[in-house]
Amino acid sequence: MAMQRTHALSFKILAECSTTKARASLMKLPHATVDTPVFMPVGTQGTLKGLVPDQLRELDCRIILGNTYHLGHRPGPELLEKAGGLHEFMQWDRALLTDSGGFQMVSLLKLAEITEEGVKFQSPHDSSEMMLTPEHSIHIQNKIGADIIMQLDDVVHSCVTGPRVEEAMYRTIRWLDRCMKAHGRPHDQNLFPIVQGGLYPELRKKCAEELTKRDVPGFAIGGLSGGESKDEFWKIVNISTDYLPKEKPRYLMGVGFAVDLVVCVALGCDMFDCVFPTRTARFGNALTPTGTLILHRPEFAEDFQPIEKGCPCSTCKNYTRAYLHGIVENEPVSCSLLTIHNVAYQLRLMRAMHQSIVEDAFPEFIQDFFDKLYPSADYPQWAIDALASVNVHLKKS
Amino acid sequence: MRFSLRSVSHCGCRVGTLSCTRAVNDGENKEVETPLCTLYTKKVDMLKRIEKLPPIVNMHLSSLADYTEALNKFQHGVGQFTALQDFLVYISVHDTGIEIPSGYNTKAGTAVWNKAGKKLIEPQQFVKCQEAFRPTFYQALSDSDTDKNSGKKRAMKAVDRTLDFLDTILELHKKSERLRDVGVFGSVEGGFHEEARMRSARETAARNVDGFVIEGFYAQNEKNKQIDVEEIKDLCNKVFKILPEEKPRLMHAVWSPDQVVMALELGIDVFDSCYPWLVTERGGALVFSFQYHNNSENEREARSTDGFEISLKDKSMFEDFGAPVPGCSCYTCQNFTRSYIHHLLNTSELLAPVLLMIHNFHHYFEFFESLRSSLKTDQFLKLKTLILEQRPSQEPPK
Repeated sequence: MAMQRTHALSFKILAECSTTKARASLMKLPHATVDTPVFMPVGTQGTLKGLVPDQLRELDCRIILGNTYHLGHRPGPELLEKAGGLHEFMQWDRALLTDSGGFQMVSLLKLAEITEEGVKFQSPHDSSEMMLTPEHSIHIQNKIGADIIMQLDDVVHSCVTGPRVEEAMYRTIRWLDRCMKAHGRPHDQNLFPIVQGGLYPELRKKCAEELTKRDVPGFAIGGLSGGESKDEFWKIVNISTDYLPKEKPRYLMGVGFAVDLVVCVALGCDMFDCVFPTRTARFGNALTPTGTLILHRPEFAEDFQPIEKGCPCSTCKNYTRAYLHGIVENEPVSCSLLTIHNVAYQLRLMRAMHQSIVEDAFPEFIQDFFDKLYPSADYPQWAIDALASVNVHLKKS
Repeated sequence: MRFSLRSVSHCGCRVGTLSCTRAVNDGENKEVETPLCTLYTKKVDMLKRIEKLPPIVNMHLSSLADYTEALNKFQHGVGQFTALQDFLVYISVHDTGIEIPSGYNTKAGTAVWNKAGKKLIEPQQFVKCQEAFRPTFYQALSDSDTDKNSGKKRAMKAVDRTLDFLDTILELHKKSERLRDVGVFGSVEGGFHEEARMRSARETAARNVDGFVIEGFYAQNEKNKQIDVEEIKDLCNKVFKILPEEKPRLMHAVWSPDQVVMALELGIDVFDSCYPWLVTERGGALVFSFQYHNNSENEREARSTDGFEISLKDKSMFEDFGAPVPGCSCYTCQNFTRSYIHHLLNTSELLAPVLLMIHNFHHYFEFFESLRSSLKTDQFLKLKTLILEQRPSQEPPK
């Protein structure tokens, strides 16, 4: 049995929804206290696309993500260690989460090969062969210094079938043990394992059970949000949360769009990350409760409303859709105006969910959310099914 | 709009006050000290993190022309539209910080350029645009497509066209209710041909304009091309003898600090600030000193930089955890390290120009503050010496 360790995280459930599996909780990390459910914006290379940390604080963002693959390459772990860690380097004094680097490696590098030892790949600089092992990933993440770090997992694309999936699932467990052993800072960094198993319920169950045996501060659900159908997606999320302990946070990686967030909160997930809101901002798109505004479209040229009436972000307080329409395609720095709004939108959505769960009015929140987004009640079938599985039946008003 | 010349120093520098009525909304009167530089805006939300912003923002017809319709419907003017309603708005014809292809102006109008391409603006359309923009003052449409190599005929053409446009514009401006309190600046053209220049100066001075834009020396078809005041000194002196001294003189250029101090002696009142933006674009941070009180022998030796800026792209910055410019009180230097900005430049992150812009504008605006205070206390020559001492030995990288 794994040794009991004191974790660098405390998770307190404030309220549980009496209808769905949703929870509203308080997660205390070394650098910040985070209300969950939480959405974590992605600041890939140690910066959130043109925003200074102050602007994130103004939005009351408590935790953001950094990518180990990118940071491990530039500026590199040694420089980050010398700088006093990523917090110090980028002047972000709240919480950070880093991923293991494995996913990007597999998705970005053509010649990645996975062996028991680790992920073998060709260095993008000089084509020499390199190896990312569980130990190596943890050491880099120890130097970056995030509050939450991820195990290196053997991640397979969600559409892969056959014995490879099972192999990856068992290897992920073995790699977790290696990560835990290599972890040099359990007192101030929380190492999360990642539940794998593809789209096979039995494998997901087995994986969750195994990971639960380890003494870890929280759990991530990985290998989803790839090319799988939404139908399969929600079922696997549901099984995963069924077999994970209640009293620890569940982080659903790579999710996502507003609808996905609402449904997966109902299915019992607490933490989310996705590049979507910041990426779509760079394409000139603004997220609102009634849908996405594609601002370069001519219909916005003389639209003098803010992106979202009532949104407290600095973009909505100062600028109109017409103005943003004018600059989105011309000034790259204008994207940061949209990034601020989209991040504000995501954070406000999570805050509203947290509050409604605390008030035990989450089903009403869900109905209202779907009504705004789908005024003709053409709700996506998968969302109807997923919510029905946790006792919420979307009504056509 | 009124200008009162307070003093002219023995070296030729003018100190004055521009009094502008904000045409939109409050009709409030604002007084602005000259010499000053206008604010070159890159449409970011980070302006509030720069202290001591100039009170006048310089927008460009070239980028605004496409929004005439929308601004007409908006009705409240371009200042409010861009969330810059606290500023006085000056609209020039071109954007000094970009390259403009040569040879596209005609007798009927002037070609302006933006990312979408070329737009030929005629005087009537020009006035309609200004009515929609509702600035504090604007530069009348002009033909400035001349340079050192232009022939006399071309130079004269530029002068004549510009006067022609000016007359049409003034006529329409007079009749326009919306442009009632808005100022008009006439442009003095003429390339490097004395006869053309003199004609332009005389004729423009004879019109009822609120100030003068001196241009037509550099056709702007080479980005980053720095002005050389030495080259234009003689012609400018002759022009200024003709222009009324109680009207302000504005000049657009890539104003590096050494050129600024020389242009002040020439008698220029208003400059633009695209120079710090261009420094930002190339990953540079302005470091030049304008502390004329402290220019001792020791200080001179301590200055290790060659030139007015350092490059944050330089490999030596990789592990340098000092402030971009030690001792600088700006938001960027107070919070971030050279190493971090170097990393942002290296990874082409959007935050790099944002942080560098904050520093470079802060530095440049403080420089102008020190220019004004040196003139008030008769220490200008000390400042001029200090600035000229710091000239780079070679051109900065493009």
